[in-house]
Amino acid sequence: MLIYIFKRLLIAIPLIFGVLTLTFFIIRLAPGDPAAFFIQPGISPNVAEQIRAQYGLNDPLPVQYFKWLANVLQGDFGRSFSRAQQPVFDVIAEALPITLTIAILTLIANFTFGILIGIISAVRQNTFLDRFLTVTALFFYSMPEFWFALMMIILLALKFPFFPVSGLNEIGAESYGPLGFLLDRAWHLVLPVTVLSINGAAGIARYVRGSMLEVIRQDYIRTARAKGLSENVVIFKHALRNALLPVITLMGSALPFIFSGALFIEVIFAFPGMGRVTVEAIFARDYPLIIANTFISGSLIVMGNLFADVLYAVADPRIKL
Amino acid sequence: MIEKSAERVSSLSIRLAGYLLVLFTLFTLSSCNRHNDSKGNGSKSRAAMDTTLVISMLGDADYLNPVIGATVTSSNIFGLIYPSLLQSEFDTTTGLMNYMALEKKLRAVTPGQGKKAPKGAIARSWRLSDDHKSLTYILRSDAFWDDGKPIVSADFKFSYQLYGNPVIASARQQYLAELVGADKGKVDFDKAIETPNDTTLIFRFYKPVPEQLALFHTSLTPLPAHRWKDVKPDEFRHSPLNLTPLGAGPYKLKSWQQQQEILLVSSRKSNLPKPGNIPAISFKVVPDYTVRVTQLQTGTVDVVENIKPEDFTALLKANRQIDIKTVGLRVYDYVGWSNIDQAEYRKNGTFKPHPLFGSARVRVALTNAIDRQAIIDGYLKQYGVICNNDISPSLKWAYNNRITPHPYDPAKASALLKSEGWLPGPDGILQKNGKKFSFVLYTNAGNARRNYASVIIQQNLRAIGIDCKLDVQESNVFFESLQSGKLDAWMAGWSIGLEIDPLDVWGSDLKKSRFNFPGYRNPRVDELCELAKQKMDPVEAKPYWLEYQEILHRDQPITFLYWIKETQGFNKRIEGAELNISGTFYNVDDWRLRPSANIAQ
Repeated sequence: MLIYIFKRLLIAIPLIFGVLTLTFFIIRLAPGDPAAFFIQPGISPNVAEQIRAQYGLNDPLPVQYFKWLANVLQGDFGRSFSRAQQPVFDVIAEALPITLTIAILTLIANFTFGILIGIISAVRQNTFLDRFLTVTALFFYSMPEFWFALMMIILLALKFPFFPVSGLNEIGAESYGPLGFLLDRAWHLVLPVTVLSINGAAGIARYVRGSMLEVIRQDYIRTARAKGLSENVVIFKHALRNALLPVITLMGSALPFIFSGALFIEVIFAFPGMGRVTVEAIFARDYPLIIANTFISGSLIVMGNLFADVLYAVADPRIKL
Repeated sequence: MIEKSAERVSSLSIRLAGYLLVLFTLFTLSSCNRHNDSKGNGSKSRAAMDTTLVISMLGDADYLNPVIGATVTSSNIFGLIYPSLLQSEFDTTTGLMNYMALEKKLRAVTPGQGKKAPKGAIARSWRLSDDHKSLTYILRSDAFWDDGKPIVSADFKFSYQLYGNPVIASARQQYLAELVGADKGKVDFDKAIETPNDTTLIFRFYKPVPEQLALFHTSLTPLPAHRWKDVKPDEFRHSPLNLTPLGAGPYKLKSWQQQQEILLVSSRKSNLPKPGNIPAISFKVVPDYTVRVTQLQTGTVDVVENIKPEDFTALLKANRQIDIKTVGLRVYDYVGWSNIDQAEYRKNGTFKPHPLFGSARVRVALTNAIDRQAIIDGYLKQYGVICNNDISPSLKWAYNNRITPHPYDPAKASALLKSEGWLPGPDGILQKNGKKFSFVLYTNAGNARRNYASVIIQQNLRAIGIDCKLDVQESNVFFESLQSGKLDAWMAGWSIGLEIDPLDVWGSDLKKSRFNFPGYRNPRVDELCELAKQKMDPVEAKPYWLEYQEILHRDQPITFLYWIKETQGFNKRIEGAELNISGTFYNVDDWRLRPSANIAQ
């Protein structure tokens, strides 16, 4: 399995590299100018030109590419255009932990609630509870997340002010002490994580229900019951483990969705995470930052997929890597 | 049997779910308590609320450095941290800028004006030479940076060298355009700025400069030379000193969490003009508009700029502690018509009238056809004013109030178009020589006001037989298409400067006049702009500006739509806020916060 992981990682290098090269050219071919902000009445026409020279944008495209390549191979992704020329990895180092926190919490919530609801619906198939859960799940599944987020804010932060509207912490939260600070942070994360995970959990519940129903009808489940095993053991040990196989692959592919979901959640809730950094970088045509973001999210997605494949082998002994 | 065991399992799952729910509720409640504690219990946190003004901002400041900070947010904030050579104020009765030193004013202050005391100025007085080519400032000797070092004339010279350095690429280098050497491409700082002693500062110009412009262009914010002198120009933009600005103004930077919050505290030692009244000001980044408005409503923030008129009613109803303050008029929207055939101009550099919009009569007809008042009534309400040209009614000294706006008159529009040969075709669309009057009106994405207006314009034009399709482009793309002359018709807006200088927008030389997107060319307009520039007192240029406005009104190079009053949401606990056309936060150091005990809930 180690060899397999090593091989996959090796393949990932040219893959990510190809993605970066494509991104490099696509963003430069897209209309828009990183120095556009400086083209306005009252600002000398020289300024935009000087700014472009600073960014190295006056070179021909191939020259820019090879210069960029040389820097990237030395691990230097450059400095951000739009964020006071901070090195891009400093920008990302500040933003990534925030997004990862949201993503991991969401992933946990997604699967916990999704699997739980799925099992309940499957085991109680065609009862009122099952139908209720199915309809509710579909309701949330088909709801646009940004709209849902705004509705949650209006309901739970404005009409009934249980939760804060935005931000990662209260103003002056530093004075609460470490535990208070963490609680305050968790408090601010409830709404965004709920919004992000409800949609995903609803989808996963549908999957789990389907595969659980299929598994419950298998002969070996009947055998297990015939042996006199308790129902908990039958469902959680024999059935669930098999039913979860297709769900595990979902885990790998859920990561990109959660990442893209984080984009708008961060804008709406004013979290300075990767999503907001990316959106703002794109609007500002901040080339180095866009590329570095692509690098990070691309790597995470590749890793996520690899992780899912490995998990698959762990869960199902029939699969050999 | 299966049924029964299934029930057992599901009851187990339900129990599990129940536990989770209880846990969640507990967590929620515990946090809720803590939350209430932090708000209600502590006189400590109430005190914190009473001493901190929270202003929301759309994005973070780029630099808190006057040389390179280019956004409005940045200059709002560094304006509080750094001192200034002169104090400036926009006189709303005349519409003229006034500049003040400690012992001298450019103009007498008219009654009801002059709310800002000149105590913040570093200059005691100034003298402009008779030939208008040299300006000598006498500085006060009791001005100090926050680290105790005196502010001296050399700080200004040093800062101007930074502003003028092409490697630093300051967005304010235009201010140096009249200094000696600028006409030859490079300012000669040895001759242009002299500092015979610590309190004398002399600027020299290569040509005579009107006093108002000279004061405006020589009063750029200084940086402390002793702190910045060792920073190399190519490292200037990413110097760590940018994160710890050393100023002398009413506030100083306490902390800067990038992309989240900038916290300023009143600078106790400041005498330029004095420590800020409110002990702390927090500028909070809230990128989403709906969230900003919600926060104003819940009292989490005190000031939100640019609230959309459609949100006023709900906002004021939900929280009676909110006040909408207006300032203007500096911003207008317009529909741009390509006056020339852009493709022809790009290809051969020759000027041919645009097949649809090339004639002034057609453009006047289009203005007649558009119901501007309906757009104002439907969207801006009392916060919009019909716009006739690009000299704002707020610039009272120059505004031509004898011009009657082109009325909404579809019949007149049709008649004008008919006289130009545009006649209805079989499908009801106007035609001329087999060409249909049909075009695409472009605008930028994400502007609700322009979206609203564009739909009304489309209907209005359809009513007189003009086919107008709408297209919305991402802002960067839109701006690029506009610059490269790819659009025939578009909707955009301008925010005008307080000094009238329209040559960039209407000059006939399209290479020089980079913002003349319609390609409007009228030699008399060029001439009037030049004549006005030569007047040493701007007020004497009034006749030229009156004529200029009549020409624009007649030629309608674009359809001027409406002036917009900027509408800012304020919590009523703020007292003493005076909004000025030169900025929402222009006297923020004089604001006060009413203690929360006095706020009726």
